[in-house]
Amino acid sequence: MKTSRIIGLAMSGLARQKMRTFLMMLGIVIGVATLTVIISLTKGAQHKVMKGIKNFGANSVMASAGGGRMFGPPDGSTVTLTMADAEAMQASIKGIKHIAPFTMHVAQTVVAGSKNTEAAVFGVTPAFADAWQWFAEKGDFISDEDVSGLSKNCVLGQTVVRELFGDQDPIGETVRLNNTNFTVVGVLTKRGASPHGMDMDNRVLVPLSTAMRRLYNTTALGMIRLYVDDPDRLDEVTASVTAILRERHHIAPPQEDDFRVTNSMAMAGTIKGVSKTLTTFLLLLASISLVVGGLVIANIMLISVNERKKEIGIRRAFGAKARDIRQQFLGEALIVTLFGGIGGTLLGIAISLAIAGIKKMPAVLSWEPFVLAIVFSAAVGIVAGLQPARKAAGLDPVNAIKG
Amino acid sequence: MIELRNITKTYNKDGGVEVKVLQGINLTIGRGEFVSIMAPSGMGKSTMMNIIGCLDQPTGGEYLLDGIEVAGMNDDDLSSIRNKKIGFVFQSFNLLPRTTALENVELPLIYSPDDLDIKAKAKSALEAVGLGDRVGHQPSELSGGQQQRVAIARALVNDPTLILADEPTGNLDSASSQEVMAIFKKLHLDGRTVILVTHEPEVAAQADRIIRMKDGQVVSDERRAN
Ligand SMILES: Nc1ncnc2c1ncn2[C@@H]1O[C@H](COP(=O)(O)OP(=O)(O)O)[C@@H](O)[C@H]1O
Ligand SMILES: [Mg+2]
Repeated sequence: MKTSRIIGLAMSGLARQKMRTFLMMLGIVIGVATLTVIISLTKGAQHKVMKGIKNFGANSVMASAGGGRMFGPPDGSTVTLTMADAEAMQASIKGIKHIAPFTMHVAQTVVAGSKNTEAAVFGVTPAFADAWQWFAEKGDFISDEDVSGLSKNCVLGQTVVRELFGDQDPIGETVRLNNTNFTVVGVLTKRGASPHGMDMDNRVLVPLSTAMRRLYNTTALGMIRLYVDDPDRLDEVTASVTAILRERHHIAPPQEDDFRVTNSMAMAGTIKGVSKTLTTFLLLLASISLVVGGLVIANIMLISVNERKKEIGIRRAFGAKARDIRQQFLGEALIVTLFGGIGGTLLGIAISLAIAGIKKMPAVLSWEPFVLAIVFSAAVGIVAGLQPARKAAGLDPVNAIKG
Repeated sequence: MIELRNITKTYNKDGGVEVKVLQGINLTIGRGEFVSIMAPSGMGKSTMMNIIGCLDQPTGGEYLLDGIEVAGMNDDDLSSIRNKKIGFVFQSFNLLPRTTALENVELPLIYSPDDLDIKAKAKSALEAVGLGDRVGHQPSELSGGQQQRVAIARALVNDPTLILADEPTGNLDSASSQEVMAIFKKLHLDGRTVILVTHEPEVAAQADRIIRMKDGQVVSDERRAN
């Protein structure tokens, strides 16, 4: 029989039992929608993480004060990283293009006029801009003169500008940090989120010397960032940094490091690992719902074959071959699952967009869920429809026609 | 065109009891004949019709349809014969529910290997039975007589040489019965072989030849001179 005739037969068979058709489709719609949401959201999350890693910088190695078990940014109480460490690195590691020692103090109150906000305060040198590849969009960056003169100039991130000045130009304005007035000399370009999801634009940069002596009275650095000229040497440089710091801090094997060294490759690896586990788990969940959907279809189809014995007998009496009957029922199962697959994809896209809107999570729509849905649905349709279709085709015409 | 030689059919009922429904039927029906087969209920009329219609196989004996032995054919060949040569009409109409008259009549054409204008052929078959204005009606929207005429349109749509009607008037009032019988007569006059099963003598009397069965055998075979 011609394919178009099989499709026509299957379609009119399904149209005669709309409620049943809907119920058969439901499981597949739910399964495929889940699959689509999972793929869109994990892709969105991966996209976000990869962007964060890109923001971190592909050519960078970063040493942070504090032990390996510590998580989050170091504060003034960890005094394990010093300017001398930075100088030692610069002197003994080859291929460092830029080295930027800096301090970091989170959740500092920043005041401008009657407004205030909380932001991270970084004490930096001009090398900071090169090491992060992050420059002033407006005005100037912190200069060598600012550092040597302990100046009270600062550069603002765009979130701070928006919170304190709105649309106004902040250059030349005064902000207050720790009871000290600073003059805004520049605004950074927008950077977005860090790999950990932190808003990198919510920050104030001041000269490193000013931060250490005037604001926080410390000799400790928060971090040292190295910009390596060749990204292939990231791991080598990371190892060198670790070795130098261990030696300088007199750390012998059983002792734990009092610092952490990381690079973008290592970060990407960890985060990819986590999201892979999660994706596998969710895919398993979606597969289970597709299998259940397939079982539902197989069962409803078997009931349907029983109820449509008379129809099958009539068709056989007027010349339908066993094969024609088998194709008709298989066609019904396939159409149910394919339409279910398409419907599920559309529903999944709608849900992904809704979740993305409500939760402010990024969703990446792509062709993969669509292709997966079609392939999965067709597979489920064939597997679920095969047994009922065989049963229908195997009925004895004389008995079938009696109903 | 039909030759039955010593045809037997035995059913095995649950419990192992054998029921010998047909016990050696010998019968020859020529092309273009209008034959009625008469017997009381339960005497194996439908069984014989199913065998003649290639829907069922006999337990023993030979059946030649247009000179070809049917017993050796496989399921696909039998299906093709039913599609091309045979048109069934049943007592209970056997139309597909929730399906229009037109779609019901299209059914045999769907399984035809030929490239046909299905809609047009089905429509002209309905017109031939006087239902050209009922193409879009579903069985539930038609009277019994109309439903049986749709069923006849379905039986003749593929232009078969043999029409097999199993108690076609059994569920109809006398007016509808007369309409239906008139159609069978016309099909016979068009040159088709018509075999009609009934247990009503008035219906049987309208054929040219009446065959009576009892206890699984032919007991009389009478031709009316027209
Ligand atoms: N599939 C079957 N299995 C067992 N017995 C059957 C089957 N079909 C018909 N019979 C029996 O065969 C006999 C003849 O049936 P049938 O041909 O339908 O008679 P009629 O059409 O003359 O009323 C009945 O006694 C019936 O019970
Ligand atoms: Mg009967």
